[in-house]
Amino acid sequence: MINENERWILSFYRTSEISGSLFFGRLAKSLKAGPIQHDMTKHYADEAMHAWYWTDCLNKLGVEPLDLGNAYQDQYLAAAGLPVNIMEILAITQVFERRVINQYAVHSRVAGVHELVKTTIDRIVEDEKWHIKWIRDALKNMEPEYGKNTIDDTVERFLQADREVYESTVREHEERIRELFPK
Amino acid sequence: MNTTLSSNDAKVKQALSVSLKRPVEELEDHILLTDLVAESFALIETVINLQEDLNFRLVQEDLRDVKTVGDLVGVCSQRLG
Repeated sequence: MINENERWILSFYRTSEISGSLFFGRLAKSLKAGPIQHDMTKHYADEAMHAWYWTDCLNKLGVEPLDLGNAYQDQYLAAAGLPVNIMEILAITQVFERRVINQYAVHSRVAGVHELVKTTIDRIVEDEKWHIKWIRDALKNMEPEYGKNTIDDTVERFLQADREVYESTVREHEERIRELFPK
Repeated sequence: MNTTLSSNDAKVKQALSVSLKRPVEELEDHILLTDLVAESFALIETVINLQEDLNFRLVQEDLRDVKTVGDLVGVCSQRLG
């Protein structure tokens, strides 16, 4: 059994993975056939599986997932503005995926983390590493079309938004986060 | 010039109609995009669909002041050239 804060953070991860999956699923449907459509379709499937892993993990720990409403990604879009082309979407996703992988690494290192949670994180992180790689490669391949400077500036703009949203989320859930991730 | 713009407007509206699954006649210029698409992800999907279907590129800055169907059609028409 886990406590309410642990239930909340695992539900938070689950909601975020569902939101990511739905987003990439829609994009994979919209894009023309090609390498980006190929990799985005796998990315979409991975995120859906991650949502399932967290759902299953929560159930095995004896609790139901919480309904958290809006996902972290919704705040991202509010802070960063809507990405409107595929390069901007990949840039914001790269920034987001780095945040996710860092968060999972922090969680995995917490003393006394439940073995089932750790196993689930390890399983997901393997996929996340590939997500970062395929997006990095895709952005590199877009340099002739968009320009390296434009891509770098876009990533930088989204990094700024990422910092704002992360700080705001930490402030909003300060008490839970302090207990979950003691320094 | 006007003929080109009208022709582009028509192409964009047709693509928008397909993407949103709504008849072109319902896509009046004054209608707010937020009344047509329920949430942000759906709007992104719509904008990507337009670019994929009509083969042009937008950047975030292009949509900064876009609020209505007319605004979106205008910006996309210009990009179509």
